[in-house]
Formats: sequence, C-alpha cells, structure tokens
Amino acid sequence: MSPTLVSLAVGVLLGVALLGAAFDRRSLAIVALAAALPDVDALLSPFLSGSTNAVLHTIFIPAVAATVLYYDTTRRETSWLRGRFGWYGVRVAWIAIAAYAVAGIGVDLFSTESVALLYPVSGRYYAVVGKFVLSTQEGIVQTYVGGDGWLGLASPGTTETHHVASWLNPGDGERRLRLVESGWQAVVVLTAAAAVPAKALLDGGGR
Amino acid sequence: MPSSVVHAALGLTVAVGLLGAHYDRRALGVVLAVIVAPELDSLLGFVMSGAHRTVFHTLVLSIIGAAVLYWDTRRDDSWLRNRWGSYGVQVAWVALFVHTFTHIALDWTHLDGINLVWPLLDQFVALDGELYISSEGVVQTFVDVSLDPTTGQQVVDAGQSGTTQSVHVSTPVQPTTEPEGPVDRRFPIAVHGWQLYVVCLGLFTLVARRLQTPHRRDEQ
Repeated sequence: MSPTLVSLAVGVLLGVALLGAAFDRRSLAIVALAAALPDVDALLSPFLSGSTNAVLHTIFIPAVAATVLYYDTTRRETSWLRGRFGWYGVRVAWIAIAAYAVAGIGVDLFSTESVALLYPVSGRYYAVVGKFVLSTQEGIVQTYVGGDGWLGLASPGTTETHHVASWLNPGDGERRLRLVESGWQAVVVLTAAAAVPAKALLDGGGR
Repeated sequence: MPSSVVHAALGLTVAVGLLGAHYDRRALGVVLAVIVAPELDSLLGFVMSGAHRTVFHTLVLSIIGAAVLYWDTRRDDSWLRNRWGSYGVQVAWVALFVHTFTHIALDWTHLDGINLVWPLLDQFVALDGELYISSEGVVQTFVDVSLDPTTGQQVVDAGQSGTTQSVHVSTPVQPTTEPEGPVDRRFPIAVHGWQLYVVCLGLFTLVARRLQTPHRRDEQ
C-alpha cells in the first residue's frame, strides 16, 4: 500500500480546498481521518489473506455512503444529519466521503500498489499507470488505458495471486513503515503541512 | 518538467482553498498565469546555456517576492492594497505560495531538478529519496551524508546533478542542445500514475467547489 501519510496529506489539501465556512480544526481532522481510513484494511491482512488494498479500498463503500447521505439530506422530509449537526455536518460529511474515495483509494489506484476496486464482487487488483504524451514524431502516445482487462486497466493479479506489502504483512520484503516513497510525495506532504497555517493566516489577515 | 497541466492541477487544488472569500474566476486566472510563467525561461535557452529550470526556477525569486510583498503590505501606504485592496494582497500571497510549493518544489523532484539558489550558486539539485521506519530506526535517503573513504572528509549528497554548462533539461521548445536527425518535440500531459492522479485531483477540486451549495458564511 502507498504511505498513509500521503493519503493524509491529500485529505488535508481537499479539506483546505473545499470545507469553506466549515473549516476548523475538528472538520479538518475528520476529513484527514477519512482519507487515512481505507489503509486500516492492512490490519486485517494477517487474518484474511488478500485484504490489503481490497476490503476497505472498494469503491462500494464511498458509493453507498454517498447514496445514504444524498437520501438523508435531499430526499427525506427532515434530514437526521442536518437536524443533529446542521449545515456544518452535511458539508463535512460530503467532503469526508470525497477524501475517502479520492485521497484514500485514489492514491493507491494511480500507482503500482494497485487496488481491488470492485471487491468483493471481483478480487482483481487494478492500477492506473502509464503515460500520456504529445510528440511531434509519434503523435499521441497514451498507455494508461489499452490492456485487455476491465476498462483496459493494468492489473497485477487478484486477491488470490497478488500480495500487497504493508508494514504488518510485508510478504517477502523487509518490514518497513514507509512514510514517503519519492520526491513528489515529499512535496505533497510539505505542501499540505504548509497550506494549513497559510490558510489560517490568510483567512485571519484578510478580514 | 512535469507538464504545465500537472503544475496547474496541483496549484489550483491548493489555490481554491487558500483564496477563501476572494475565490473567483479572475483570481484563479492570475494564479494560473503565475504557475505557468516560469516555463518562459525555456525561451532563454537559445541565448543562455542551461537557462531552463535556472532563471525562473530558483528559490531566490520566491524569497525576494516574499520579502517585497511583506514589506509593501506592512507599510501604511501599501501600493498593492491601495490599488487592489485586500483582494490583491490575498491573491498575491496565494500566487507566491502556489508558485513555490507546486511548481518550483515539484520540479525540484523531477529529472535533473532545478538550479535551486541561482544566481548565488550555479548548481542543479534533484530531490529524490524515501523516508521510512524499519529495524534500523528512522531512515531518510533524500540527503546522504557520508565520509569519503580516501580523504576522510564529510560528503553531502543532496542530489547535485551539474551546472548550467552541463545540464540541459529537455523542453518542447528546445528538446536537445545537439540538433541531429529529426527533432522530436514532446509535450507530456502526464507521465506515471501519480501525475494523472494530480490532474484528476485538480479537476475534482474545481468541479466540487463549483457544485457546492454556497453558504452565507462562504461569501463573507
């Protein structure tokens, strides 16, 4: 699995961008936790083989959550969430679901770590990897999509055949708690860490 | 460079939040222009060796920019505030933040990196490495400090790659400094999964911000 720290950082960036008037320490913490939550499935790995990047990285969890939230806040006469937490609760809930899907699942999906996106319907891991380049010699070069699998995405195997390494269950590799794997991840973490005080400063100074 | 599309996507993701109450199309346009502008140093590559990733990709520019902005906005008679009000001050700070963190820092991690503190020192530096906790404790490989076995002196490897004389970072404007055969100008949109991810993240943020039900406190 990709470092949880990176999912946390992207979650913080989403929170800073979208919380708006609901932005405070508590709402930002909820959104960041939602972004980190999918990685908890690595803890099940010793008991249920093939659970890392599968059990909680399935698209069905945010899809069901979004459906329930939509039903509660739009279709019902009196929304439970709005009655309990008001406008603030509705906004934080939507952004937490977005952070779960985009920051929690997305970071792993767009890397060689791969995600069993349709678990438990299908145990196949998917990875969006490749490149998209315009070249004056070769024209449009696009290799993200084009394989034989579902949507033409690359796949390293299924929950039966492919093991996603994590700190708790490193497989054949050395046991490592990876925090940052590359330069771009370091930049994303630093940007998120700087964006929070910057937001507080700018909002305070601007009014 | 990671393409301008990637820079713009990460930059706008950050800008949407930091602009806060001053978020509007014009502010986004200004930020977008600031994100893309440093690539103009590609054009200087024809008259100056190694100009791309040097002239406008230096942290010195950010530091000077921050100093000038701080000095001006702290005066009683601030030029920026008189001209554009608090809107102008906020957009300027956001543009500087986005330029530094999502363009300069991101290019620092890519290929030969950037000429970090040019013109104080002509040295390209590339940030690459990892940070993890293992049985050896906390390990980081971004900056390697070691002892040279022959001289016994301390050697610091922070990814130094060369100077303006030896490094040429390819751009569509000037793909190579040795023109031979048919020239292949490549405009990358996204390379690797993560760059496409950043592009999607930027689009998602802009669309989500647009679709959000406005709240009266958002407008303040």
